[in-house]
Amino acid sequence: MSELVLETQKLDKIYKLGGRTIRALSDVNLQVKKGDFISIMGSSGSGKTTLLNMLGCLDKPTSGEVILDNVDVTKVPERKLYKIRRHKVGFIFQTFNLLPYLNAIENVELPMEGTKESGDKKKQRARELLKTVGLSEREEHRPHRLSAGEQQRVAIARALANDPTIVLADEPTGNLDTKTKYEIVRLLSTLNIDQGTTIIMVTHDSHIATRAGRMLSLYDGKLLAKEKEGTHLLKKELICPYCGGEIQPDNTFCPHCGKKL
Amino acid sequence: MLLVVIALGFSMAIMISIPSGIMANQEATQNLTQNFSSTITNMQEEINKTATLIECQTSSGQVFPSGAPTGMPRFGSRQEVFVNETVGDEIRSIEGVKDVVPFLEKSSNETTSETLSTPRGSFTILRPLYTITGVPLNSSFIDSYSVLPTNLTAGRNLQEGDSGVLLMSSNLSDYFGVGVGGTVTINEESFTVVGIYEPTSQGRVETRMVCMNLTDAQTVTGEVRNVSRFDVYAEDASYVDAIADVIEATYSELSVTTYKDRLTQLQNMQNMYNETLKNAESTLSQTQTVAFQEIIIAIAASSLIVFFTMLYTTRERTKEIGTLKAIGFSNWNVMSQFMLEGILISIAAGAVGIAIGIVGAPTLTSLLLPHVSMFGSTQIGRFQELGNPLSAIGSQATTASLNPQLIFLAFGAAVLLGALGSLYPAWRASRTSPMEALRYE
Repeated sequence: MSELVLETQKLDKIYKLGGRTIRALSDVNLQVKKGDFISIMGSSGSGKTTLLNMLGCLDKPTSGEVILDNVDVTKVPERKLYKIRRHKVGFIFQTFNLLPYLNAIENVELPMEGTKESGDKKKQRARELLKTVGLSEREEHRPHRLSAGEQQRVAIARALANDPTIVLADEPTGNLDTKTKYEIVRLLSTLNIDQGTTIIMVTHDSHIATRAGRMLSLYDGKLLAKEKEGTHLLKKELICPYCGGEIQPDNTFCPHCGKKL
Repeated sequence: MLLVVIALGFSMAIMISIPSGIMANQEATQNLTQNFSSTITNMQEEINKTATLIECQTSSGQVFPSGAPTGMPRFGSRQEVFVNETVGDEIRSIEGVKDVVPFLEKSSNETTSETLSTPRGSFTILRPLYTITGVPLNSSFIDSYSVLPTNLTAGRNLQEGDSGVLLMSSNLSDYFGVGVGGTVTINEESFTVVGIYEPTSQGRVETRMVCMNLTDAQTVTGEVRNVSRFDVYAEDASYVDAIADVIEATYSELSVTTYKDRLTQLQNMQNMYNETLKNAESTLSQTQTVAFQEIIIAIAASSLIVFFTMLYTTRERTKEIGTLKAIGFSNWNVMSQFMLEGILISIAAGAVGIAIGIVGAPTLTSLLLPHVSMFGSTQIGRFQELGNPLSAIGSQATTASLNPQLIFLAFGAAVLLGALGSLYPAWRASRTSPMEALRYE
């Protein structure tokens, strides 16, 4: 039984917009174990991003608890939250959100700013991370000289910089073309398999969602009780989700049925 | 961004140029005060030494004729009048007279034209090239009274029995082209230069003079047995008024100046100096008030420029701020980041400002502080018009220039203003909710 790294209990979020009251989340109970790769699906307005913001300590729930690494982060005062964001959470955004005037390696180093690591160590770590996401050759490039997929890879490396407990990805493939989309989601699942990174990915793309291990659905702020298994679990056990044949971790296509993994 | 830096730089240039202008002004006023007081002190000393001296000068015309300025040359020399030496013997017989020292002062035949500029236009005047002064080289006179020039720079002074030699003011050595030991020809007579002295400045108009034995001077100028001035020394200061009255009554061709007259003259001059100083000071204080206001405006403008630039920047980069906070930047991290940016912009602007200031400080200050230039023309013009020693003082230029201290200060101000102007925008940025900021497009 893997340890629980993230848990929400009876999470509610109520917005007041103008005169109207909007219930963005209602009674969300979510349990995330170490090494999980979870996708949360839902149409726009279903509360996906609200939930993610809650998990990433960017927003506070109206009621309920968010327990990250045994700490109820809803009780942590705002001025101390940055430490949790820095060390326990890695964010990946739909629009990448790289700093345009910093090059790839500097962008990756950014979250380590303010930590006690020496400059050399930070650089070394950033370099390793860029290698992990396959961008060793492009360290010195600024975002505008990178393709969308490459930018997202840099953003993923940045999210991993402080070795976070959990990586939160908000529509990470939303701004990418079909081919790149799969590359990015494959990168995420590789990270999950190879390094045990816990990932929660929010998406409204069902093809992408099925690539995760656990598939959850949000509907009108409620988490649907029925949870599906994604193809990722099978891949993790080195079984082709389509024909059941044996595969290798680095296979892009199933050697038996030829389908894209 | 470049525009912002330039605008800010300009504002800072104003900020640093104005103090430099003020400093130049202060310096000018200070110099004026110093020169005034030293002039007055010197004159006072001179007058005190000569309580028993009655100067009897043959009446003469004005040096500078007054009237409307024209470009026409005017003959600016005295209408020279001479009296016979024997008048001196007559004066000596007046009761209470101790000594009578006769002098002959006559302008050279050579003339030179000079241009003097005043606010009412420029005068071209014809002036004698130099004055020939004959001094009685009698050891009792030389020892007792100041009859000879004192500040010698080369050679020796005149002494009893000298003949065929002369003393020359240093400003004539170029004209004659000789030094000590050289020969000078005046009206076809040859003289040997035995000494050179530094002339006392009479304002802009420096006296150019050769000094020689009285009899030599009388011969060379053709004024045989004639003199132009007597220095009459009384036995005691109490006789002075009586002697002066007798001389004035008897010899209408002599104008008499006593210790009292000289004191009155000094008083008048002092009053005028004080008036001038007061004007200068009130001008300065007016200028300072204007400068103070302008500096405040420049500071306000600079910080407002920084403020709005940073406000715009932080708004423009809201999403970036959201990202930074999402990946673990503390409020303080974000705030210091943007403060630093504000300060850097400000420093860049400071550098531009200093560059503009170095090149344009004089122009800027004269544009912004209209009083600065007044020292350069109006006031000085008055002195020149009066043919007064003050003109030399007034001619000191008041040029604003930047000194290293000011430049150093300007950098400090840039840092401070950058910090000040970006304080609120940076604070606002640091307070932005990351969630809201990330949603911002």
